[in-house]
Amino acid sequence: MKKLVSLLLVAAMVLSMVACGGKEVKKITSIDDLEGAKIGVQLGTTGDIYASDQYGADNVEQYNKGAEAVQALKQNKIDAVIIDNEPAKAFVAENEGLKILETPYEEEQYAHAFQKGSKLVAEFNQAIKELKEDGTFDAIVAYYIEGKGEAYKSPEGIEYKDKLVMATNAEFPPYEYYENETIIGIDVDLARAIGDKLGYEIEISDMAFDSIIGAVQAGKADFAAAGLTITDDRKEKVDFADSYYTGVQVVIVNE
Amino acid sequence: MQAFIQEFLDDFQRNFIVDNRWKYIVDGLETTLLVTFLALILGVVLGFVVAIIRATYDKTKKLKVLNWICNIYITVIRGTPVVVQLLIIMYVVFASVNIEKVVVAVLAFGLNSGAYVAEIVRSGIMSVDEGQFEAGRSLGFNYVQTMVHIIMPQAFKNILPALGNEFIVLLKETSVAGYVALRDLTKGGDIIRSRTYSYMPLIATALIYLALVMGFSKLLGLLERRLRNNER
Repeated sequence: MKKLVSLLLVAAMVLSMVACGGKEVKKITSIDDLEGAKIGVQLGTTGDIYASDQYGADNVEQYNKGAEAVQALKQNKIDAVIIDNEPAKAFVAENEGLKILETPYEEEQYAHAFQKGSKLVAEFNQAIKELKEDGTFDAIVAYYIEGKGEAYKSPEGIEYKDKLVMATNAEFPPYEYYENETIIGIDVDLARAIGDKLGYEIEISDMAFDSIIGAVQAGKADFAAAGLTITDDRKEKVDFADSYYTGVQVVIVNE
Repeated sequence: MQAFIQEFLDDFQRNFIVDNRWKYIVDGLETTLLVTFLALILGVVLGFVVAIIRATYDKTKKLKVLNWICNIYITVIRGTPVVVQLLIIMYVVFASVNIEKVVVAVLAFGLNSGAYVAEIVRSGIMSVDEGQFEAGRSLGFNYVQTMVHIIMPQAFKNILPALGNEFIVLLKETSVAGYVALRDLTKGGDIIRSRTYSYMPLIATALIYLALVMGFSKLLGLLERRLRNNER
């Protein structure tokens, strides 16, 4: 019994010593300071891919959700988070003491992804083109990013010929996120607008970001709309429609 | 057939050889084993202490306060999922300290395992016939001596299969450590998968877990046989 107790005490002491030996917090004021810093990202995002390539995999911590990386940043567990501009704004607005570095980290093109050889690519390209021309797309963006106007509403009396499953990761405001138990956002409204044009009803399937490409590839979803950037690696696995939006990767740091 | 093999080799190359991606698996395996091993020790120590306190209370009605604390511990730990416990330890308990993630994982899985081990050990102690206890006391052993020399050796043999089962569960449970961005085996596979979009890392991860568990079961079988030697 004494042995057990002393073992337990030793274990507790060792643990608390390790726990207290926290590392110095690195102050980041520009992109150049990222060298050698602990960078948090969401697994499988382009922020993850760029940061791992540029700063070495050992300096990058992959969280399952962007919000968890931000939480770790707030608690000084990491020094910076690289994530898309719009979600970054939402996170910074919700959390005091965080700011976005002025210089953007990287620019990128968002597009819908489809199973290889899907006939939907051409249909989507046409629909996106029309929606951009008639102003519907701009109205959606204006509503979600600037808070102007109204969300997209399907015109009445549409008869859908089929249903399309859209793979997304609804933790990415303002592209897709939960509000009042439904998923809304730019990608969602745009998908519905495209669906209305083509006669498809859209069903949303919310999953982990790093599963999205796999789901599309395996035919578990008909297309993906998740602020998904076109990259060469992804192009080998899925087909992309024309880009509908330019995203920017930014760095969030503690003030 | 040849095309299939070629494709398999290409896929293998891309998933494990390019960019030294196999390192994610090997490093992850190391982390998984380290976390499992340390959590196992913490869990067993904690489990035995809690079980002895509870059994002592059951038998003698002493240690009332400690028994009460142990009861709360078991209720809370068994009543909440391990992922939630892990996240709470990471983001609530150690919110203001910058702590090594391995320590967080060891604490979470160790504390979790401890509650289950405690109940397993207690069931073992209770399964030893009351007469054994009385015999020990009448031979002049005090309570602790009876526990250590008579009850525990018999109890341990009885609970070995259940303990082994708990260790296997623990090993596989550590696969959720990726939730706090700790790179364990599963997360290592996930990182590769997020780059190559291939099924292969999943299968590789599964096979490694399977091999680990099979090896462990084998060891456990040997230990069980040895402990039974004195029975005939």
